Amino acid sequence: MGSTHLGHNILDHQLLDKDGRRCGNVDDLAIEDADVVAIYSGPGYWPQRAGWLGRLAGWIGGSGRVRVPWEEVAKVDSAVHLRRTAPEYGLGKGDDCLRPFVERIPGANR
Amino acid sequence: MSKILGVALGILAAIGGFVDIGDLVFNTAAGATFGYQLMWVLPIGVLGIIVYSEMCGRVAAASGKAVFDAVRERTGFAAGLSALIASELVNLLTLAAEIGGVAIALQLLSGLPYRVLLVLAITGVALVIWVVQLETIERIFGYGGLCMLVFAVAAVKLGPDWTQFGKGFIPHVSQNSPWLYLYFVIGLLGAAMTPYEVYFYSSGGVEDRWTPKDLGLNRANAIIGYSLGGLLSVALMVVGAAVFLRHGINPEHLGTIPLGAEQPLGKVGLLFAIVGILFAVGGASIDTVFSGAYNLAQFLGWEWGRYRSAAGAPRFFLTWIVLLVCALGIVMTGVDPVMLTEYAVIFSAVALPLTYIPILLVANDREYMGASTNGPLANTLGIIYLVVIAVVAVAAVPLMIITNVGQN
Repeated sequence: MGSTHLGHNILDHQLLDKDGRRCGNVDDLAIEDADVVAIYSGPGYWPQRAGWLGRLAGWIGGSGRVRVPWEEVAKVDSAVHLRRTAPEYGLGKGDDCLRPFVERIPGANR
Repeated sequence: MSKILGVALGILAAIGGFVDIGDLVFNTAAGATFGYQLMWVLPIGVLGIIVYSEMCGRVAAASGKAVFDAVRERTGFAAGLSALIASELVNLLTLAAEIGGVAIALQLLSGLPYRVLLVLAITGVALVIWVVQLETIERIFGYGGLCMLVFAVAAVKLGPDWTQFGKGFIPHVSQNSPWLYLYFVIGLLGAAMTPYEVYFYSSGGVEDRWTPKDLGLNRANAIIGYSLGGLLSVALMVVGAAVFLRHGINPEHLGTIPLGAEQPLGKVGLLFAIVGILFAVGGASIDTVFSGAYNLAQFLGWEWGRYRSAAGAPRFFLTWIVLLVCALGIVMTGVDPVMLTEYAVIFSAVALPLTYIPILLVANDREYMGASTNGPLANTLGIIYLVVIAVVAVAAVPLMIITNVGQN
C-alpha cells in the first residue's frame, strides 16, 4: 500500500488502543517525504480542517493535541489499532478526567 | 425455536416502536386534511426506511461501522461536522417534541399540569435509561406501543370508503391546495424516514456485535418490522380521514388524536390509544436521545455504548443527560409539541441526504463489506431513494414557507 493511499485510508478513522478502547479519531497526519510518520489526534487539529466551524469546534473542545508515532500503529482495518493503552499516549483524557465525578453517582458502574 | 421466538419478539417490538410523534402528527393531519388522497406516499416512505435501515444494518454487521463513523470517514471532517451539527439540532427538536408528547399523554391520563408532567416525563426517561437495560427498555416500550394497534381496529370499524381508500394509493397531485398537499408529501416522507431511526438501528447493530451471520435477522427486522409498522401509519391516516375530516375537526392538538379511536371504540379505545401513544412516543424519545449521544461520540471517536456503564463511557453519558436537559428547556417555554414536530420533520428531511449518501458509499466499498457489498437491487433502490431524498431536501423549506408550516 502506497503512503498516499494509506493516508487516505486512515484519516478520520477511529483510534482503538490495545484493549480495544475507543480513544479518539485520526484528526490529521504528519507526512514527511510522502511517508506517514505520525498520527495527530485532538481538538487542537480541528481548526485547520474546517475553517471557522472547525475553529469554533476546536475552541469548544479545548486545544488538546496528541502525536502518536507511526511505529505505534499495530494494525489498520476499519479502525486504527494502537500498540499501547490510551493513557500512555495521552489519548482518551476527556473520559478519564470525567470518570471520577461520574463514578460518584450510584449505579454508575453497573 | 427460541431463536424464532426471539426474532418474532424483536419484530413485535419494532412494530410497536415504528410510530413516533412525527408519524402521529403528519399521518393524522394528512388524513384530516386530504382524506385518503395521500395514501400513496406511505409505501414509498416505508420502502425508503427499509432500504436504508437494511443497508445500515449490513454496514454495521460487515464493517463494524455505525452511521456517524461512516459519515466522518467518507465525507471528511468539515462536511461531516456540518452533518453532525444539522443532525444534532434536528435530533434535539425531535426529542423535545417527543418529551412534550409524553407529557400530553400523561396529562390525558392524570389531569395534572403540563409543565409538572414535562419534568416528570424527563425524569422518568432518565431514570428508565439509568436503571433498566436498554434491550428491556426497547421490548417494554415496543410491546406497550402495540396498543397503537387500536387505531387499526378503529380504522376497520369506522368502515372507510374502500374505493376512495384504494384510489389513494395511486400517485397524483391534488387540484385543491396543491402547495399544502406537497407540504404533506414531504412531511409524510420525512416522518417515515426520520434519520434518528437509522442512527439508532446501526449503532445497536454495532453494539450487538452483528456479523455477516446476522444479516438474515437484519433483513427480517427491517422488512417485516417496518412494513407492519407502516400499517399503523395507514391506520392513522384512515382515522384522520374517517373521523376528523368527516367532522371537520383539525387535530392540531396532540390530545385530539386519541379521540379518533374513541369515536368507534368508546372509552376502551380511548384508553388504548393514550397508552399506545405514551409508550410509542416515550420509546421514541429514548431512541432519539441515544441517537444524539451516539452521533457525537462516533464523530469524535469517544467511547460509547448502552452496554457500557456510565463510568465506562462518561462523555457519552453526559451527552445524553445534556440533551435531555436542553430538550426540557425547549418544551418548558410552552412551545407546542405539534409545531416542534413539524419543524423537526421538515428539517430532518433537509438533513436526510447528509446521512444516506455516506452510507451508500460505505455499503459499496468492497474492502470493508466483502461479500455483503451492495448488490444491484440495493444500489438501484438506494440511488432512486437518494434522488427522492434530494428532491425532498430541496423542496422542504420552500414548501414550509409557502404553506406557513402547513397552516394555510
